[in-house]
Amino acid sequence: MSDFFSSNLVLVQSTLSGLILALSIQVPLRMGVFSFAGAGSYGIGAYAAGILVLRYEFGALTAIALTVVGTAVIGFLLGAVISKLNGLYLAMATVAFDLIISVVAINGGELTGASTGLFGILTDFTMTQMVALTVAALALVAMSEVGRLGRRVDTVRDDPELAASMGINVRRYRLAAFVVSGALGGLAGAMNVLVRSTVGPLDIGFGLIVLALTMIIVGGSRSWKGALIGAVIFTWLPDLLTVIGEWQELVYGVIVAIAAILLPRGIYGVLQDGWRWAQRTRRDRRAAARGGPVVDDDGGLRPQEDEAAVLAAQAADQPHRELDQLSSRPQGAS
Amino acid sequence: MSTSVPQTGTSGPPGPAGTTPVLELRDVAVHFGGVKAVDGISLQLESGLIYGIIGPNGSGKSTLIAAVTRLTPLTRGELLLDGRPVHDVAASRLAGLGVARTFQTVRLLPDLTVRANVQIGADARSGDEAQQRRGPAGWLRPRAASPAVAEAVARTRLEGFEDHYPSELSYGTQRRVEIARAIAMGPRLLLLDEPTAGMNQTERAEISALMRSMRTDGLCQLLVEHDVQMMIDTCDYVFAMNSGRLIAQGAPADVVQDPAVQEAYLGRKWRDHARSE
Amino acid sequence: MQDLVSVVTLGSVYLLFALGMSITWGTIDILNFAHGSVFMFSAFSASLVLEQTTLGLVPVLLIGVAVGALLSVLIQVLAFEQILRRAKDRRSAEMQILIGGIGVAIIPLAIAQHHTQSNPFGLNASSFTVESLSLGGLRVTNIQVLTVVLALALWAAAAVWLQRSRQGLALRAIGVDAQTAALMGVDRRRLALVTMAVSGAMAGLSGVLFTYSLGAITAESGDTLLVKAFACIILGGVGSMLGVAFGAYLLAAAEVVILTQTNGSWVEAVSFGLIFLVLLVRPAGVFGRKEVRRT
Repeated sequence: MSDFFSSNLVLVQSTLSGLILALSIQVPLRMGVFSFAGAGSYGIGAYAAGILVLRYEFGALTAIALTVVGTAVIGFLLGAVISKLNGLYLAMATVAFDLIISVVAINGGELTGASTGLFGILTDFTMTQMVALTVAALALVAMSEVGRLGRRVDTVRDDPELAASMGINVRRYRLAAFVVSGALGGLAGAMNVLVRSTVGPLDIGFGLIVLALTMIIVGGSRSWKGALIGAVIFTWLPDLLTVIGEWQELVYGVIVAIAAILLPRGIYGVLQDGWRWAQRTRRDRRAAARGGPVVDDDGGLRPQEDEAAVLAAQAADQPHRELDQLSSRPQGAS
Repeated sequence: MSTSVPQTGTSGPPGPAGTTPVLELRDVAVHFGGVKAVDGISLQLESGLIYGIIGPNGSGKSTLIAAVTRLTPLTRGELLLDGRPVHDVAASRLAGLGVARTFQTVRLLPDLTVRANVQIGADARSGDEAQQRRGPAGWLRPRAASPAVAEAVARTRLEGFEDHYPSELSYGTQRRVEIARAIAMGPRLLLLDEPTAGMNQTERAEISALMRSMRTDGLCQLLVEHDVQMMIDTCDYVFAMNSGRLIAQGAPADVVQDPAVQEAYLGRKWRDHARSE
Repeated sequence: MQDLVSVVTLGSVYLLFALGMSITWGTIDILNFAHGSVFMFSAFSASLVLEQTTLGLVPVLLIGVAVGALLSVLIQVLAFEQILRRAKDRRSAEMQILIGGIGVAIIPLAIAQHHTQSNPFGLNASSFTVESLSLGGLRVTNIQVLTVVLALALWAAAAVWLQRSRQGLALRAIGVDAQTAALMGVDRRRLALVTMAVSGAMAGLSGVLFTYSLGAITAESGDTLLVKAFACIILGGVGSMLGVAFGAYLLAAAEVVILTQTNGSWVEAVSFGLIFLVLLVRPAGVFGRKEVRRT
């Protein structure tokens, strides 16, 4: 086990930082906020942690903590400015935000190392710390998927108007999505730069958005489990695909395209559907044994009728009629 | 303009003197550009009664509901809930003040079970006992449904369907889940926007019986409906709307026979008829 | 004055590229994120052909146009049509088309990257050579002139097509109200295919022209251009033909100013900053029609 661990250390590290990056984009998507700002926060996080360690000699954990708070605040400010935008417009504004970060990194002069980036960021950051931080972040995200908070997030995504009628402050949730996304992106970037000891402008470009989306789309966009599946697949697949050899990039592309088109809810969504189907079959069999509900005209289920209500309906003996049918005068030519 | 509206200044049925109405509208108007969807409506709703709104399509009923639930901004006028002005509060705060509604179309979350969908309503209750009882680690046991959900499910006769997903249910049953979700909010004012559309006659009778049973809790209900029989069977008091204004109000059986109301429906039909020829 | 030449030529490249994106977005509601990939792959295909044989300018341009149109139609049939068929509402369809486009774009990119080893590729093997001309004291290249002329001609043609022809009318009807258009008996599928083909052809054309005038491009060139094109479109207003031209030349002008006033490395930030500014100040764009969107 530890042999496997040490010989694949780099891949394990990539999986963890990739997972948190994927979550930084998945969390807003799950709230119906079409924001890719997590990739920009990742860039800020990577550079900020690198600079804090390299130029100001902060310890690893302090640097990470400062970075995460910083990117969360930036996320809040960004959200406050643009969370009123919708759909594609919001998405493109956040893409622009991500790309601006790259340009700033190139133009940061000595501070960011310009086009060569930062090197030799050596710290006492351990694997145990990285695993612990990742698990903690994962646990917090997982909490937002169950119980009352989970239902509220679902409602905000699927039907903002309904959410408002259910007492949910939609604007606050959308803003929270930006903050959480910022914190997660910052964490992923900071952890990655501390284990890699280097970061450059090419590491934080448009490709980062594609990578994160890829993990979410293939793994599943509605649950951290999907992001985990995606992160594992896309950090380990290139390694396994060396068997396929030089065409691995293409295979990668085809997998993503197929998943994006045919499985909008990803591998986890398929597993979930399968599980639901099994559950339903079992339940229906039990229900059939008991003499269960009635199948309606539209193929859906409804309860057996209440006898009192049937009697009431019969006693009233009034057909369903609308007010415009009250008169015997001829009606519109509809 | 019809003169069926009593000219006494206040409208609404006589309630016990001195009580504050659950909901009061004072000269409420909603204009979209030049379209006056709702144009100066004043009414008062007392607790424990069922009110109905009738009117031809496009008469402003749904806009009125949207205005009362703050989903549409008021052009002018005042909304008072238990005597408190609410025309400036956010829509999301109304739920906490005891306002629940159903929508004209079924709006359930497709990926949640019936139980979870109804639970969304119970979540909106400020002091939901189940949440408190489960304590800070409550999220570890997400399956514990609150009593409010169990009660709402029982009232709408959805027992046995708690673990189903909306797509498995008939349209009428889905509408019951909508109503259950609203009931689970434990409201003081319940707005039902055509809750029985797509239901058969028996189901309508069941919903009607359900609404009447809820009056005893002091719940104030406002029903928007096309089915006249349902209106007569269910409501204590009916408002008729046309072109964004109230044209008649009173006991259901009287209102449907009111010449102004007949004219609103049939006149419209006649005009449509004439235009199509 | 020489700067003005730069503005006009750069703007024309942006216009040609953004035009295709604008047409599909403004009419059939598809923001095609594979557009940059189509742009790059058309030029790449032309360079492949030129490895085998020597061709003049016109055949090379035609290869670019054909590959672009074909690729776009393929993407429409294999990706976007499938997504639209499965999507439950417009909001989720919008999102999935964006993500699907990003996914599909990986494939041509991977092929080109694999073949070029991510090195720049060009069209030097063509018998057509870029020459400098002198027009009243201004230095311009023949390819610059061609780019400007083609961009303006195609822009005008597209505008007239949308304004006048039956197909254009039907397309605009879809852009304004898809349901009414369906009731009017517009064959959405066929029109969408035609639109995607036209859009792809323009991407292919601009890919070849751009590669000629720059000398060489890399496989990743399409991505940045994509975001710039988006900036052009929203600057002018989605669906507005006048707007996209305005956006393209304004962006080019802003970039040239930054380029001449600074050391040049901030140029890329211009378009990104403009996107931000426009979305915040005037989301409908300068010439855009007001759009009512649900929150």
